[in-house]
Amino acid sequence: MNRRILGMLGLVTSAALATSIAIVPGAQAAGTIVVWADETRGPNLQSVMNTKSDWVPGYTIKIVTYSSFDALKAAFDKASGTTGPDIVVAANDWVPTAAKSGKLAPVTLTGSQKAQFNPTQFFDLSYAGKLYGVPVDINNVAMIYNTNLVKSAPKKFGDMVDFYKANKSADGLKAGLCIAGGGMSWGAHSVFSALGADAYYMAGGRPNYHKFFDPKVFANNVKTYLLDGKKSNGFFPATDTGCKDNFLAGTVPYAVIGNWEWKDYVAKGFTMNLMPVPGVNGGYGHMFGSVSGALLTSFAATHGVATGAKSLLTNFFASTAGQVAYQKFEGRPPAAKGAQADPSVSDGQKGFGSAASLAGIPQIGAFLNNNAGGASYWDSAPAYWTAVLVNGKDPLVEAKKLAAMWKKNMLTGKADL
Amino acid sequence: MPKLNTVFKGKFALITKLILLSGLSAILVLLIESAFAKKEYAIALFLAFSLIALCYTYLSARTVPMKFFLPGLLLLFAFVIAPIVYTVVMSNFNYKTGNIISKQEAITQIEGLGVEPDANGTTFDIVVGKTSTGEYAILASDTPNHVYFLSTATKKTDLLPSQVRLNADGVATAAPNFTQIPEVQLAGNEDYSKINYAYANKYFISVQGINVGAVFRQTLRYIPTNDAFQNVLNGKMYRDNRRGNYANVNDSADILQPGWRAPNWFSNYKILFTDPSVRGPLFRVFIWTVAFAFLTVLTSFAFGLLLALTLNKPIRGRRFYRSILVLPYAIPSVMSILIWGGMFDTEFGAINHLLGTHIAWFQNASFARLAVILVNLWLAFPYFYLISAGALQAIPSELLEAAAIDGANPRQIFKKITLPLLMQILTPLLIASFAFNFNNFNLIYLLTGGGPKDLLGGQIAGATDILISYTYQIAFGSNTQDLGLASSISVIIFFIVAGISLYGLRKSKVLETFG
Repeated sequence: MNRRILGMLGLVTSAALATSIAIVPGAQAAGTIVVWADETRGPNLQSVMNTKSDWVPGYTIKIVTYSSFDALKAAFDKASGTTGPDIVVAANDWVPTAAKSGKLAPVTLTGSQKAQFNPTQFFDLSYAGKLYGVPVDINNVAMIYNTNLVKSAPKKFGDMVDFYKANKSADGLKAGLCIAGGGMSWGAHSVFSALGADAYYMAGGRPNYHKFFDPKVFANNVKTYLLDGKKSNGFFPATDTGCKDNFLAGTVPYAVIGNWEWKDYVAKGFTMNLMPVPGVNGGYGHMFGSVSGALLTSFAATHGVATGAKSLLTNFFASTAGQVAYQKFEGRPPAAKGAQADPSVSDGQKGFGSAASLAGIPQIGAFLNNNAGGASYWDSAPAYWTAVLVNGKDPLVEAKKLAAMWKKNMLTGKADL
Repeated sequence: MPKLNTVFKGKFALITKLILLSGLSAILVLLIESAFAKKEYAIALFLAFSLIALCYTYLSARTVPMKFFLPGLLLLFAFVIAPIVYTVVMSNFNYKTGNIISKQEAITQIEGLGVEPDANGTTFDIVVGKTSTGEYAILASDTPNHVYFLSTATKKTDLLPSQVRLNADGVATAAPNFTQIPEVQLAGNEDYSKINYAYANKYFISVQGINVGAVFRQTLRYIPTNDAFQNVLNGKMYRDNRRGNYANVNDSADILQPGWRAPNWFSNYKILFTDPSVRGPLFRVFIWTVAFAFLTVLTSFAFGLLLALTLNKPIRGRRFYRSILVLPYAIPSVMSILIWGGMFDTEFGAINHLLGTHIAWFQNASFARLAVILVNLWLAFPYFYLISAGALQAIPSELLEAAAIDGANPRQIFKKITLPLLMQILTPLLIASFAFNFNNFNLIYLLTGGGPKDLLGGQIAGATDILISYTYQIAFGSNTQDLGLASSISVIIFFIVAGISLYGLRKSKVLETFG
């Protein structure tokens, strides 16, 4: 290399170093707690932090928003000690896999902090006996009926089927009951349950490991209420596609909807006509009441803010004051009892809460995610609807397969609780 | 207008080059710093090499060809070769849910998880501070029972209520031999929270928040000399099982979580070919992948060619037809696929409405496959129409005229002259299209999600799953992810597609000969 090249190299290097030293890459500042959230929760959390940011004295709280829930999940799946958050606001079903993979760290609550919540809410956020986060808000579904079509609330499942059959042609109904929120597994559990097939049963606030659904009873109910011979009678579609639009358009009288989309129904003029799905002999089908959680990550310890992050969980995410402040923006039913009683909670939040109190059961990921039986609840539940309502398979044969799967999943998943 | 090389020369060109190179170098140095900060040493090393190579190449007069090749070569390495190598390496690892982090991280995690609270789940309100000797200490309060004590890593000192000063909540904040650290100062350094503060017997107090301490005891202890964990309560030993977990020496099924990424040389490939639960579905998916790619190319090419032949004739409104035929190509495929998905819906979809049927397009295996082929036909035919129309123009008209004079009818002309010549021109493109559809993830994922699958009948793969969507299912599609196994399938797909592409490249030589 001649002197000219060396001179130019020196010049380039000096300029480059001068520029790069001036702009030091952004490392996480000491005392900064990073919270990851999705596209709705992120801006709402930021709004709360804009009004009050000293939830943990001395710490700065940085909210990182992802463009969608899927993007948040994808990012968290790839997160490592250097890139991951300290707290992630996530679905409860992230807990078993993330904890198993060492991405979450356990949280210990005091007695008074625990008393703020329904004990069953901790099932959702626990894995192998340890709690990995705090419940933030409740996700549940309820059945809504269109009062322009139906004059009174159905008392039994058969009332809805009878109405559909009687008015199908006159009202141009495309279905009787469909799932608009939560999909054909989570959202449709209340229909399974109304027809006699619960994913698991509870007794005294604990899972009952000795009771499982009877496939004969369930299959008989499916034959009676959902089939005409071997074919679907059209009352209950096997997919959720188009359900919401058709309910809003008045071509489906009953729909199971999620509490997160209540405002869409209010905007279309629907009032508080929510209830659980009625059972075949009265009573109600059980629906999952799950919680979203603020989860503590193992990365917080790497970043040197584990204690601050734990304090943020208890001082903000799990506290009455924090949940009231947050739900003013988010608009979901809060998980903390104190926050639920706050006068600022909306009618929609209360309506879903009321349906949950009538027929809610805790969503236990350890059973529902387990696939020891051949497929998880999430995959096997929609498969049943497809097999019977679409492909014309025998409801009893398929129900027996389903019962065997769910039983094995529950008994195997017991170890993860 | 002056030519570019007459403006960019001399000192002006040199200064411009130096400014651009300095800017690029600054960005690279910044990225190197960032990579080092995140402990991504391989990336930092590659960036450093790129920086040196770029400076040398563009400051030296000896490497003129490299001035053109270097950016492409660096990007090729970064975005093609490195991911392939990484995938091949990961295909030989036990890399799945439960085995994601490094071994050192796993040891730290297991130690952290290897504690249990006391029977009552006892917690205390605490205030963090230091003793007169500068040792970290906590002043703990059991407010309902008015019990207070000072605790360091080695010693617990009980205090009388008269010895402490309480705040409004009844929590002790001051005591002899203790100076509280203001809460705002704790944020900068959490070393105090890494200490196990003395409590009673084998129990200690662990800081669980700035103001909360909880009573625990250690249940698992790491023994570095043996690279093993011991359960201090029952004596069970857990050793590295060489598959990414510490396993009980007397019961290999009893493992500690989390595990770590560990090499399992060729085990993933072995599973692909020996495990019936993986091999069976994989074989079925492979057959459908080939069929799907072949049928897509066949139908799209046939339809595109038919349109090209039709519009090759001087018919009225030809320009208009040509324009609208390209429209499906202009609409983003993601949108088209989602719209088609809605149109095929059983209950509310337009297709069933128009046909007056009640076909469960996506719940029945045969109909789902038909729907996939139809939607892909819609997406792909404009491309084949365009290339066929272009190729038709390249066929010398003299050949067709000579054949007509010799008495060949239009069918014979097409069969004996047009189609063979077209195939000679288009075969490499058809092969490339086949290779593309072999990995057409978007269509399958967005339209059918790989389904339907008879899960109750034990099916793992869906009826419309192709190899890449099946791989995605294994890697990311369920709660349990197996990235190592998915990587091994990816490597196999890579060799298949590489083989098809190589064949296509050889065919391209035919094209050159023809030209």
